[in-house]
Amino acid sequence: MAWRNLWRNKRRTYITATSVVLALVLALFMRSMQFGSYETMIRAGVNEVGNMQVHDTGYWDNKTIDRAFFTNTALEQKISSLPGVLHMLPHLETFVLASYGDKTKGVQLVGVNPEAEDLQVKISGKITSGSYLKKGQAGLVIGDKIAEYLNINIGDSLVVMGQGYEGTTAVGIYPVTGIAHFISPQMNNLMVYMDLETLQKLIFPFQPGLLTGISVYCEPGLEDQLLSTIKASVGDHFEVISWKVMLSDMLQSIKLDNLSGMVMLMILYIIVAFGIFSTVLMMTVERRRQFAVMISIGMRKGKLVITSIFESIFIALIGVVTGLILTTPALMYLYLNPIRMTGEMAAMYESFNQEPLMAFSIAPSIFFSQSLIVLSLALLSALYPIFYVLRFNVLNALRQ
Amino acid sequence: MSIIQINNLHKTYTDTKVPVKAVNGISLSIEEGEFTAIVGPSGSGKTTFLNLMGGLDTPTEGDILIGDKNIKDLNSRQLIDFRLHHIGFVFQSYNLIPVLTAIENVAFIMELQGIPKKERHQIAMELLKKTGLEGKENYRPGELSGGQQQRVSVARALASKPKFILADEPTANLDSASTEDLLNMMAELNKSENMTFIFSTHDKRVMDKARRIVTIDDGKVVSDV
Ligand SMILES: Nc1ncnc2c1ncn2[C@@H]1O[C@H](COP(=O)(O)OP(=O)(O)OP(=O)(O)O)[C@@H](O)[C@H]1O
Ligand SMILES: [Mg+2]
Repeated sequence: MAWRNLWRNKRRTYITATSVVLALVLALFMRSMQFGSYETMIRAGVNEVGNMQVHDTGYWDNKTIDRAFFTNTALEQKISSLPGVLHMLPHLETFVLASYGDKTKGVQLVGVNPEAEDLQVKISGKITSGSYLKKGQAGLVIGDKIAEYLNINIGDSLVVMGQGYEGTTAVGIYPVTGIAHFISPQMNNLMVYMDLETLQKLIFPFQPGLLTGISVYCEPGLEDQLLSTIKASVGDHFEVISWKVMLSDMLQSIKLDNLSGMVMLMILYIIVAFGIFSTVLMMTVERRRQFAVMISIGMRKGKLVITSIFESIFIALIGVVTGLILTTPALMYLYLNPIRMTGEMAAMYESFNQEPLMAFSIAPSIFFSQSLIVLSLALLSALYPIFYVLRFNVLNALRQ
Repeated sequence: MSIIQINNLHKTYTDTKVPVKAVNGISLSIEEGEFTAIVGPSGSGKTTFLNLMGGLDTPTEGDILIGDKNIKDLNSRQLIDFRLHHIGFVFQSYNLIPVLTAIENVAFIMELQGIPKKERHQIAMELLKKTGLEGKENYRPGELSGGQQQRVSVARALASKPKFILADEPTANLDSASTEDLLNMMAELNKSENMTFIFSTHDKRVMDKARRIVTIDDGKVVSDV
């Protein structure tokens, strides 16, 4: 009966279902875009810092070279043998002064394992002139803003000066082998990469293997579990910091952005609920006379209510399914082919060292939650006819 | 035996500025097989009276006995069921469910009564034939003329096998030819099926077809011939 009503009254069904479709499409696009940007931000962030880092206890809060530690093969092997650990990148980093000619600048000097690091972080892809680091070779890859400021070129030698380990002084002179362009202006202005072993010799020539941290990359699903396992296995001497702590600024801004997104979504929902409600209202009032005749000739109000409920459920389902069918391929396409952005948005992305691409998320949870919300909104507004039927005055309706 | 017995029926509308005594002391008895017109000037209380008889409205005072049931004793849900099984209705216009075809409209009431699909289809077919709508079974109300729609309404009313059929100005929106047709058809059914019809009208030509004319004015019966 309900089905027949819908099928026969196509116009009414179309109009109501269309408002449901519209609602779902808008909500899905909004959420997909938002979560897409968060996902890329997080992915890029985690790619840079790892899922977690192991340091000497206290290093994260007070990053001095005195909190460096020596490689512990047994420990490294233990961590790398844990299921879910993909790889580990040892780092030695310290803040130094870099001079060339009459100019001096503070930079972050980072020692990396050239091959291993490149598998994950892909600095080699950001080189604009010169070449990437080689293991055991004393050369520097510097951000292009540093090169510009110091007016230094490939082949020129840069003097670095800083604190060594345990009160020593570290002074070295190395040729610039590559200039890189990082997306983030801050990184362009700050980062100097070099071979880990070479840097270790500079910072503490008396014993090899000095590190400030080890970035651990793992399978995303096992992250929380690994965090506690690794914490337990490294003991009190070491701290294990999750990317969530390391990227807390980013997470904070995501949270804030998400909040404003939710407000927008809320407004959308209100508009949508109102839209569905008004179509339902219009159509119910349109059928006033029909309801009156049905009740007069002997249809119980309860039966009419049940029919209305089924109609609402059908319309809402049709709307949601259609919305999903329409939106999913579009979002899939956008997920695979993100949109390039310009202007302010682009700048925001760049500040997080990201390509200014508008990414879309296809996380199932988005589809699930938005479908559910829109479905309930539709059903909620469709409750009106039921309410209407229950306090319906047959005689008044007949008299018109 | 009378099928409807009305005793000292009153209906006063109090939701108006001045209370309106729309039905003001009607006593009447209707026998099985009657073909009766309720007539009277506009505002005399015809619709109110028919609604009371049909259990669509509740009297302020007085009794309506249909068969051996006093409809005062029924709660609103029982009243709906009572209407479904015992009273046929034909309204002035827009009687039919627009999304259903003629045959579905007729079958609808039997669907409510719980008659099996096959049987109701067969009965609906027969009734549409009797009301002269053969071939129009699958037309929707919007595709039928006003007269044809009223015929479907009569067929639907008959389909529930009621004790009597109430029709409030069934011809008010019809041209004179359709009016004549509808009345002739009703008179025919009255004879062949011994179905009791009670209809209200303004129309002199409709009155002429009636076998009993009850005239009311100001909610009172002024003549009954
Ligand atoms: N719901 C109502 N509330 C208040 N007064 C009403 C209501 N329905 C009818 N009336 C009044 O009761 C009186 C009888 O109305 P009713 O509709 O029964 O007359 P009628 O004979 O059917 O008129 P018509 O020939 O115009 O259809 C009129 O004065 C009308 O204004
Ligand atoms: Mg009237």
